[in-house]
Amino acid sequence: MRGRRRPVGGPWRRAVVSAGLVGLLLGSAACGGGGDDGDGDGDGGTEVGAVNDVSDRGDPVDGGEITVGLEAETSSWLPGEGTFNQPGINVAYAIYDPLMHRTADGDVEPYLAESMEPNADLTEWTLTLRPGVTFHDGTPLNAQALKTIFDEYLTAPGANTAASVDEVTSLDVVDDLTVVYRLVEANAAFPVLLISSPGWPFSPTAAAAAGEDAGANPVGTGPFRFVSWQRDSQLVVEKNEDYWQEGLPHLDRITFRPMPDEDTRLASLQSGDIDVMQSLRQSTVIRARDLDGIDNYEHLGSNSGGGTVNTSKPPFDDVRVRKALAHALNQEAIIEVLGGKGVTPPTTQFFSEDSPYYSEKVADSYPAYDPDKAQKFYDDYVNDPERSDGLPVGTDLSFTYSCPPDPSLNEVAQLVQSLYGALGAQVELEQVEQATWIQKMLARDYDTGCTRVGADSDPYIVFNAAFTEGPLNMTAFQSPEIDEQLDILRTTTDIDERKAAVEEIGLVINENVPNTFSGGTLTVMAAQDQVKNLDGWVFPDGTRGNGAASAQVMWGHAWLAG
Amino acid sequence: MYVLRRLPSLLATLFAVSLLTFLMTSLLPGDPALQILGAENATPEAIAAVRADLGLDDPLPVRYLHWIGDALTGDFGRSYRTNEPVSEAIIDRLPVTAEIGILAIIIALLVAIPVGMLSAYRAGTRTDKLISSTSFGLLAVPNFMVAIFLILIFAVWLGVLPATGWVNFTDNPVQNLRSALLPALSLAIAEMAVYTRLLRTDMIGTLQQDFVTMARVKGVSNRRILFRHALRPSSFSLMTVAGVQVGAIIGGSVVIETLFALPGVGRLLLEAVLVRDLLMVQGVALVIAVSYVVVNFTVDILYSYLDPRISHGRSAARV
Repeated sequence: MRGRRRPVGGPWRRAVVSAGLVGLLLGSAACGGGGDDGDGDGDGGTEVGAVNDVSDRGDPVDGGEITVGLEAETSSWLPGEGTFNQPGINVAYAIYDPLMHRTADGDVEPYLAESMEPNADLTEWTLTLRPGVTFHDGTPLNAQALKTIFDEYLTAPGANTAASVDEVTSLDVVDDLTVVYRLVEANAAFPVLLISSPGWPFSPTAAAAAGEDAGANPVGTGPFRFVSWQRDSQLVVEKNEDYWQEGLPHLDRITFRPMPDEDTRLASLQSGDIDVMQSLRQSTVIRARDLDGIDNYEHLGSNSGGGTVNTSKPPFDDVRVRKALAHALNQEAIIEVLGGKGVTPPTTQFFSEDSPYYSEKVADSYPAYDPDKAQKFYDDYVNDPERSDGLPVGTDLSFTYSCPPDPSLNEVAQLVQSLYGALGAQVELEQVEQATWIQKMLARDYDTGCTRVGADSDPYIVFNAAFTEGPLNMTAFQSPEIDEQLDILRTTTDIDERKAAVEEIGLVINENVPNTFSGGTLTVMAAQDQVKNLDGWVFPDGTRGNGAASAQVMWGHAWLAG
Repeated sequence: MYVLRRLPSLLATLFAVSLLTFLMTSLLPGDPALQILGAENATPEAIAAVRADLGLDDPLPVRYLHWIGDALTGDFGRSYRTNEPVSEAIIDRLPVTAEIGILAIIIALLVAIPVGMLSAYRAGTRTDKLISSTSFGLLAVPNFMVAIFLILIFAVWLGVLPATGWVNFTDNPVQNLRSALLPALSLAIAEMAVYTRLLRTDMIGTLQQDFVTMARVKGVSNRRILFRHALRPSSFSLMTVAGVQVGAIIGGSVVIETLFALPGVGRLLLEAVLVRDLLMVQGVALVIAVSYVVVNFTVDILYSYLDPRISHGRSAARV
């Protein structure tokens, strides 16, 4: 089974290249198991970075049904109402089609839409639909449908999409198949929005007819029609015979089952109760590598473990303290506690090695583990008569480190406590439930603690949320240099200019350390090897898509070998 | 008559339960509006709009009266998170939890009654000691460990039962039973041990009573003495505890349903708590509390059928 490791183009090649790169960066630390690409000796569990261990896909076969085990249930299937995380997006991509999607090279291209063109100053985006596409209930997908969805659902009071479509002042119908999104100001990254739930057209007639129950009766244009849903048990979809893409989908039926427990989800894959399993947890990803007859579609996302620091509060308003905290963190040790030793590379920036926005220069600038430097910065602050917290010279720092109540995060917190304790700081550990923790961070009512840093979204969206005056700036860190670069990101589509801007921002962040990073997060779709092509989806024009990034699959393109 | 006499205290209990449920969930830190919107959409305006929409800004007593008033007419409101009616969600899921729970109790009793009786009959022998130490061992293993072992053995190694994947009884009764078996067994193991221990103790006492000696003297067979004469008077503690243990089974269902990915009330409650789906938490907690009170009330009444000598006045004091 191990002999068929086969990196082929696109994301696969990049994944393996990045695995090699990180191996080099880690030097001797990784030599224990990461170097040899795991050919034949069964040490697949110790390769650094994302690995794709996938059998030959052969030719497409039509027919058959599969069961997919997902991490969690989704609250509702109606865009604007449901909260779509990785599990929910998988189901959504079966029932809906995204107007836009991401290519293997990281560009955003039309998928369900036929074209998407900005005006010269990027304030108006004209979207043209394909002719002849209908929703599963027969309602035509036209400009008016997009407008109704936008006006009555996405921007409705209380809709969870209201904030993300806030920049759109109006969506206007131009002709039967064309609409214009008019924006408050220029935004080069606007099309990214239409990859997510604001860009999944659903039948406005069906939603109106279902009323309050629309979230339980999704009707899209996607490769599969919704059949039934028993919450927390299963959601069934079947082939859409009238799908607008010729020859798709291949499968007859998919059953999605939310299975919150990692062990039983893995056991169900082993026992054959399910055909495909999703996991976003390191230890499960590693265990899935060693199963026989299982194909692993891994992805190293930009979502990294890390720490957030409240820079609005002394002593954290002083960069020396923040640098001391960063240099004191032993990333390798934290990754080991999280179960990703030798597998998850340490992170240094908001975008992973698999992202086009990754920068070596930023990586070098990160204040990596160095106890001596940490101590120097710490002593410098503590012995400064002008220290910002107003305490007498020589008084050690005393603060709280907060984390959600997860067993591995608990261990991480204890490790962090001892690392900071070595500097002389008194660290009190606090367990706060996820819901409360997010609220405390939004209110900036905290010292420092565990969080996830980075996102697989457009850099403008990520940095604009994180480092401007908006309510989502949890670290309270802002800088004129970042604002300047954000302007560039907002107003240019040129990928090289954007990369340069992201690099500048990354350097500012690492100079000021409002966030610390630990390790990246591997995700996997693990499948019985007769389930094929989970990552081989293409755009209608044949452009290669972004594979099974973040354990999200375009199910219309998958098939079951005979 | 007895039922009527107990009614006021039953109602008082239920009122206290509803008030506590409401207060505890309302005082949980963490804003439901934030959960509904998700962190990336939680602008202050959006949060204010959602809070106003849900009536979260009303004073607590007003919110309680609204909620309990509607609840009395069977309307528990709609879930903040999923927008499904809370009562429908509970009605959909109650059969799953009830089936697993009842199956667990049946399995536990089927094992515990003969084993407990054997243990009492052979009190002090090696058999008794083996049964006792096994019971203690089983009591000490948490149900999620039991569940993982059962999955490993029956699903992964033997492949005879599914690890996950609930099938509704109405869709396929046989598959339904197969999907319920491992979860029920996981819950039953600890119960089994408790029941065995209790029955053994009570039965040892019964077997020393005069009427048993009398039966023995008359030459009644051991089997008949144990099952026809001794079992009924030895079952009081077992009955009481089986009633009280319904609480343990419901508590266990939170863990077991999550492990086995079952669409039951326990998992509904857990997920509702995690995302601060207050109306759902309140509704589920109330229904669980009511079922618990009702079960124990029923057990209370059953005493009279087990032993007509016990008056209801005294039996009430036992619970």
